[in-house]
Amino acid sequence: MVAPLLSLAGVEKVWPNGTIALRGVDLTVQAGRVHGLLGANGAGKSTLIKILAGAIPPSGGSVSWQGEPVRWSNPRAARAAGVATIYQHIPLVPTLSVAENMLLEQRGGWRHDRSGRTRAAEVAQALGDPFDLDAIVGDLPIGTRQMVAIAQGLMSDPALLIMDEPTASLAGHEREQVYATIRRLAGEGRAVLFVSHFLDEIVALTDEVTVLRDGRAVLHEQTADLDEAAIAAAIAGRSVAALERAKTARAIGAPVLDVRDLALRGVLAPTSFVVSAGEIVGIAGMLGAGRSELLHAIFGADPAVEGMVALNGDVVGRSPEDAVAAGIALVPEDRAAQGFVPGMTISENLALPRTGILISHEREDPAARAAIDRLAIKASGPDALVSELSGGNAQKVVIAKWLTPETRVLLLDEPTAGIDIGARTDILRLIRTLADEGLAVLLVSSEFEELIAVADRILVMRDGAVVAQVDPAAIDEAGLIQLASGTTAETGMAA
Amino acid sequence: MNRTTDWRQIFGLREAGVYYALLILLALLAAIAHSRGLPNYLSAQNLGNIAYQASLVGIMGVAMTVMLITGAFDLSVASVAALAAAVLVGLAPGIGFPLAAVAAITTAIGVGIVNGVIVQFVGINAFIVTLGTLTAVRGLVLVLTDGRSLMVEQPHVLQQMLAFESTRVPLFWPLLAIAVALLVLAVVRKHALPVVGGVVIGALALLAGPAFAVAAPVVYLALFTAIVWAVLRFTVVGRRVYAVGGNAEAARLSGINVHAYKLGAFVLSSAAAGFAGVLFGCRLGAINPTALQGAELTVIAAAILGGTSLLGGAGSVLKTVVGALLLFTLTNGFNVLNLGASYQGLIEGIVVIAAAAIYTVGGKRKATAR
Repeated sequence: MVAPLLSLAGVEKVWPNGTIALRGVDLTVQAGRVHGLLGANGAGKSTLIKILAGAIPPSGGSVSWQGEPVRWSNPRAARAAGVATIYQHIPLVPTLSVAENMLLEQRGGWRHDRSGRTRAAEVAQALGDPFDLDAIVGDLPIGTRQMVAIAQGLMSDPALLIMDEPTASLAGHEREQVYATIRRLAGEGRAVLFVSHFLDEIVALTDEVTVLRDGRAVLHEQTADLDEAAIAAAIAGRSVAALERAKTARAIGAPVLDVRDLALRGVLAPTSFVVSAGEIVGIAGMLGAGRSELLHAIFGADPAVEGMVALNGDVVGRSPEDAVAAGIALVPEDRAAQGFVPGMTISENLALPRTGILISHEREDPAARAAIDRLAIKASGPDALVSELSGGNAQKVVIAKWLTPETRVLLLDEPTAGIDIGARTDILRLIRTLADEGLAVLLVSSEFEELIAVADRILVMRDGAVVAQVDPAAIDEAGLIQLASGTTAETGMAA
Repeated sequence: MNRTTDWRQIFGLREAGVYYALLILLALLAAIAHSRGLPNYLSAQNLGNIAYQASLVGIMGVAMTVMLITGAFDLSVASVAALAAAVLVGLAPGIGFPLAAVAAITTAIGVGIVNGVIVQFVGINAFIVTLGTLTAVRGLVLVLTDGRSLMVEQPHVLQQMLAFESTRVPLFWPLLAIAVALLVLAVVRKHALPVVGGVVIGALALLAGPAFAVAAPVVYLALFTAIVWAVLRFTVVGRRVYAVGGNAEAARLSGINVHAYKLGAFVLSSAAAGFAGVLFGCRLGAINPTALQGAELTVIAAAILGGTSLLGGAGSVLKTVVGALLLFTLTNGFNVLNLGASYQGLIEGIVVIAAAAIYTVGGKRKATAR
């Protein structure tokens, strides 16, 4: 047997702060094959890709390229060896033309280089001329931009093309274009390492599959020997959360939030549902399924949304001010960019939604201190700046902002993303307690085990539409992954 | 548990640097004046003069600081002030001073609304929009004045205007009253910081003597600054202004009407510019079409000297006023001491950059020390 194009043995990565990202990954990529790489958030996919691209060095283990041990010190070295990496967020310059983007890596003095352009035209032709070389990248649809990124990667004639979720933001026919390209590249004898969380495309497209979980490769099989359920089970693995599902059925009150035909063109299909007091409704879905958009639509944060939101029977105006006044609160996904004001203290951040005329330290400081105690926020006091807190503690501040008697509905968008396990458990317990106190909660999370643990019911979204409603007691994480990422979602378990 | 006062932070270079800079500059100029045998530089009259010269820029600077705190930018203030002055001088002979002043400020507010609406609802960068209105409004002034100087010739109207601008307000007793009030406040609220303010103001009043009086614009500046400062410091509106600049998206998702606050900052900025323009028109009873050209940069420089961040979310109107005083002390010092006016611009520019460097480097050190 010929030596594999790329082989990894026991590759480890420990970050300087002690976080272990990879615990010893073995991976073998053969020329002319499409290799699927899967794993849940935080499983180590991105770290592994960065090591292969030469962007970061591994802490241990060995990487062999065409049979020779290598250690790439920078991305240029990896590219020179023949590894091209296309990252998820396409790093193109929108103001330059396609040809100039493809030639970004080129060295030399002149901007318009005839041989470079000839090479670009060749690559474009090999891809089936999906774009005009002189078009400005910013004017192109996102699918074509993805093709430009692939073309840019092919300029150096790589033996291995690594693609990090190339289809995550693409529509159906644009995905087909990418699939066809990948098949053609494999046909030319190149290897493709294809990272995706869409199980159906992994099954349809790849020749073999490696699944990462907790920094280890837990599954390596020929795709032909696998089905979606087996892959989903490998991704989910055993549950790591300390949370157990409450045994007793929780008391659920009268309907509070009534969402009717909420829709946003091209993003959110008309969606209707009701959430009751004391009920936790989980929303499951993959990246780009429209979960955050749904929460923002309910909160009135997007003026283009159509439809109606009612609270206790009263229609809520379509703006965040109206939503807050009515008692709807949103904890946004990106807490640093959307959740808190970094230059302000905990006390000031907590008081942001407060109305009135004068600032009252007599009222706000005890309130802040109470929130710090209740949520176990690790901070020196109410006057600590939120920007000095760790992610988990900052997230607690963002949630605590809404723990007022006026809040009736709590919309939580990935409240545990990027948070250590201790703080995560605190937050999930808090969500349960809040629901027990009568709040209606909508919880978006990519950690499906969390949804299964705390939600009373789970809505599954795919491509901007709620495609199924499931009872968390009757489904496991693998089933939920399959439902959220498979084409089988429309049939089968839809309730 | 009481709110702790961190004295090292309050009197640190980053927080109080602009006060030190003003004191050092005054001391330096006083020493030079003394060594050259000139009259006392630190006389009440000269200090009052500096405050008078700084008053227009100070008023616009206070509003500009609010603007910068919300994360926007207004280059058009000097043109707007000139427009207001032109409207005032043009209309006053016909409809009298009070109505003309109202018309002038209303016109200015109109420009502010145009600026704000274009920036906020069309989504063009504030720098570009106000660069455009800077030029366009100056052009409008030229159109209105037909390129010539306008003058108010009716003596009784001129009299009213001069009275509004040049009346001297005795300040000895009011300053003492403020000092006492601050000391009382400090005792009642068990808060140490007002003591510093009270002692400084009281000492200044006693040094200046019972005959101390300043021109009316200084009082207008002080009142405007005090009101804006109090709103920013003590009201929910103030906190929201900082929040809008510190993280607009977080503010919006907290239910704050970000559009209203940003638009409000443009209106405030233009209204303040309009008022400054009225004062300017009154000062001379006349307006020349190139009046106040370039003053917007002095206004912004004052805010930067006061430590206001161009990125939004931080800034203090008191320090902006001190920044304006610093700039005009430099000008005044060069004139009074005859230090070679050609060096003036060079030194002013270096002072502004040095101040910004202190704030930036100080800020970084603060962040890395943790």
